[in-house]
Amino acid sequence: MRAVGMILAGGNSYRMKELSNKRAIAAMPIAGSYRSIDFALSSMSNSHIQKVAVLTQYNSRSLNEHLNSSKWWNFGRKQGGLFVFPPMVTADNGFWYRGTADALHQNLDFLKNSHEPYVVIASGDGIYKLDFNKVLEYHIAKKADVTVVCKDVPGTEDLSRFGVLKMNEDCRIEQFEEKPMAATSHTISCGIYVVRRRQLIELLEKSVQEARFDLVRDVLIRYKDVKRIYGYKMDGYWSNIASVESYYQTNMDFLKPEVRNYFFRQYPDIYSKVDDLPPAKYNPGCEVKNSLISSGSIINGYVENSVIFKKVFVGENCVIKNSIVLNDVYLGDNVHLENCIVESRDTIRANTYHSGQDGIKVVVESNERYVL
Amino acid sequence: MIKKEMIAMLLAGGQGSRLGVLTSKVAKPAVAFGGKYRIIDFPLSNCINSGIDTVGVLTQYQPLRLNSHIGIGIPWDLDRNIGGVTVLPPYEKVGKTEWYTGTANAIYQNLAYMESYNPDYVLILSGDHIYKMDYEVMLDYHKSHNADVSIAVMPVPQEEASRFGIVVTDEKGRITEFQEKPEQPKSNLASMGIYIFNWKALKEALVTLSEQEGCDFGKHVIPYCFSKGETLVAYEYNSYWKDVGTLGSYWEANMELIDIIPEFNLYEEFWKIYTKNDIIPPQYVAADAKVYRSLISDGTEVYGEVYNSIIGPGVTIGKGAVVRDSIIMQGAVIGENAVIEKAIIAENAVVGPRVVMGIGEDVPNKLKPKVYSFGLAVIGENTEIPADVKIGKNTAVTGKTLPEDYPGGVLESGETLDKAGVVA
Repeated sequence: MRAVGMILAGGNSYRMKELSNKRAIAAMPIAGSYRSIDFALSSMSNSHIQKVAVLTQYNSRSLNEHLNSSKWWNFGRKQGGLFVFPPMVTADNGFWYRGTADALHQNLDFLKNSHEPYVVIASGDGIYKLDFNKVLEYHIAKKADVTVVCKDVPGTEDLSRFGVLKMNEDCRIEQFEEKPMAATSHTISCGIYVVRRRQLIELLEKSVQEARFDLVRDVLIRYKDVKRIYGYKMDGYWSNIASVESYYQTNMDFLKPEVRNYFFRQYPDIYSKVDDLPPAKYNPGCEVKNSLISSGSIINGYVENSVIFKKVFVGENCVIKNSIVLNDVYLGDNVHLENCIVESRDTIRANTYHSGQDGIKVVVESNERYVL
Repeated sequence: MIKKEMIAMLLAGGQGSRLGVLTSKVAKPAVAFGGKYRIIDFPLSNCINSGIDTVGVLTQYQPLRLNSHIGIGIPWDLDRNIGGVTVLPPYEKVGKTEWYTGTANAIYQNLAYMESYNPDYVLILSGDHIYKMDYEVMLDYHKSHNADVSIAVMPVPQEEASRFGIVVTDEKGRITEFQEKPEQPKSNLASMGIYIFNWKALKEALVTLSEQEGCDFGKHVIPYCFSKGETLVAYEYNSYWKDVGTLGSYWEANMELIDIIPEFNLYEEFWKIYTKNDIIPPQYVAADAKVYRSLISDGTEVYGEVYNSIIGPGVTIGKGAVVRDSIIMQGAVIGENAVIEKAIIAENAVVGPRVVMGIGEDVPNKLKPKVYSFGLAVIGENTEIPADVKIGKNTAVTGKTLPEDYPGGVLESGETLDKAGVVA
C-alpha cells in the first residue's frame, strides 16, 4: 500500500483507574484473546500497510512484551516491518513525548526516510476493523489535506472524552471541538487520520516550532479553516476503551452474536500474539452461561454473562456474574464476583466476595498463588 | 561449517489405515488430537523442548494437510536460519526412482539431508505417538553407555507383551535378544519405535542394506546392527505414552484428557505442546447451553449441551443439540436438536438438525469389522449428513449424503455409507 502506519500507543488515562497502573491502554486485554492494539495492527496489516511504527511512552513493558515479534501480524518482511519507538534523548531533544504531535515530530526521521506518499495515523485504544485503502481512496477523491475517520454515536453517549465534529454536505469538517462539556453534534472522531506524508511533516515542523504539541488541538482544529480537513464516516463496529466503563462495555459487547460474528468469523481476521495454551477445560460441577471462555482456562464453578480471559482457574462453587476476569487469574473455591474486572495475574483467596455496587469494581489482589 | 550434535528424522509418511476414514484424506500424523492439536505436534514439541532444532519430516501419504500445518515451523520455533524443520517427500532421481518402501528406506533416501548437518547422532521418531519425552536425557544415556544404538522401551503388562516387539536386556541395559510378538515373552520391555543412532553406524547400516526390499528399522536395521556386534542398549521410559493407531485407542486417549488431573496433562507450564493456531478468538457458551467434563477449543460456539467430549476449534454446536462421549474436530457444525453419542466427527463435517447418532445394537461393521468397532460412529471430513436421519454404532459415513441414502431414514449399526469413495 502507499502508506506507512503510525500507532499512538503511549497514552494513559485516569479514567482507566487501577487498570492503567499495570500497562498502557494499547496493551489492555480485549475479548478474551486479544490486546487492544491488535485491532489497529490487524487492520493495517489487512490493508497491506507494510511498515508500521508504534509510538510508546507510558508503562510500555507489557506492550513491548506483546509486540516482541512482528510475525503475528504478518509484518517483519524485507520491505517494511514493525517498529517500536519510545521517546529518546538525542542531540537536539531531551524531552518525553509532550503530546501526540510531538511524538510524531520526534520521529520525523522515520517519516522523512519513508518513500510511501501517505501516512495512516491511528490510536492503540480503538476496537474496530477498517480497510484503510477505502479511507485513502476517499482522501484522494476529496483532494483532502487530512482525512479524519469519524462515527455517529447515539445521543445517550457521554461525548466529553471525544473529539466532536460537524461536517458540511461535502463532508469537509467545519467544527471540531476536543472533549467538549456540551457537545453540539453526535459525530465523533475515531482518532484515525490519513494525511500526505510531506503535508504531515510540514504541519508537524511548524507546530512544534511554535511549541504546540497536540495533534488534534494544535493541528486539526487550528488548521481546519485553512486546510482541507475531511471526515470519513465509518459504519462498522467501533469503540474506544479508554475508560473503565467503556472497557467493560466493549468486552461485554462480544457476548452479542453480531459483534462476535463480525470480528471472529467474517473476513478479515484480527491477529494476535499466540500463547500456546491447551483448550479450555470444563470440570464436573461447572456451569457456564452466556460467557466467553479463553484457552488454557479451567472452570469448576458458575460463570454467567462474563468474559474469562486466558489461563484463568475458576475454583469450585465460585459464582462469577457480569464480570471480566483478565489473563492468568486464580480464583479459589467459593469466590463470588459480580460486576467486577479482575486484574491479570491476580490470585483471589477462597471465600472472597467482591461486588460492584454502583458501577464496575476493579479488583486488584496479588496474594500468594496457591499451588495446585 | 554447519554442525549439529543430534538431528531428528520424523517418519510421517504412513497412512494409518486403522483410523479408517479419519485418514482417508490426511496422513495419520496430521489427524487432530485433544481438540486443537494434531498428532505430529507431540514429537515436534518434544524435539524443540529437548533442544533439537533440526528435524526432517518424511512425508509420503496425503501430505497436503501435513505440509500446511508444518509450514516453515513457526509454531514450534523451528524456523531457523540453519536447520529448522524440513519436509522431505520422496523424489525422482537418476537411475532407480522409488517411493519410500520402508521406514529405513525413507531415511536412506535422505542420507544427503542428514550428511549436510554433519551430525554425531541421529534420532529416529515416528509421527503417531502421544507422549512427552526429553530426548536429551535419552542422548545422555546413549553416551554414558557408549552405545551405537539406543532403543526407547517401556514396560507393558506381561500378559500383553506378546502384542509388541520385545527386547531382552542384561543388568547393564544392553540388549541381548529381540523377540517380535513372541508367544513366550522373556521380558516386558516393548520397543517404542524411538531410536538414537551413532551417525556412522546408521549410515553404514543403511548403505549396506540399501538393496533390501522395504527396508525397515525393526525388521532389518536393528537386527543387522545387532548381528554385527554393535552395542545396543535399551532406554527405559516410564511416563505416559500412547499409540493412537486404532479408532478405539484414539478415542480413549482423547477421553483421558478430560480427567480432573489427567495422566497426560496439557496444562503444565513445563514442556508445552505447540501447534499451529488457525483460530484464536475465545469460545462462547450460550445462555441455555450446558457444558460438563469437556475440553473445548478456541472460536467454538456452544448453544446446545456437551458432556464428556473433546471439541476442536471453530465448531458450532446448535441449539438443543446434545453431544456425549464424542470427538468433534475443527470447523464441524452440529445441527439443532441433534443427538450425538460416542461419535468421531472429522473436520468441517456438517451434521443436519435432529440427526441421531450412535443408536441401536453394537453389531460389527460389515465391511471392515477390525477398523470400525468400539461402538463408534465415524464421520469423515467434509461429510454432510441430512436432517432427521439416524445413524447406528460401528458405522462410517463420508461425502455429501442425501436423505435417500438412508433407507427408512436410518443407517443401521455396522453399515458403511461411503459417498466420497474413500473406504478402500
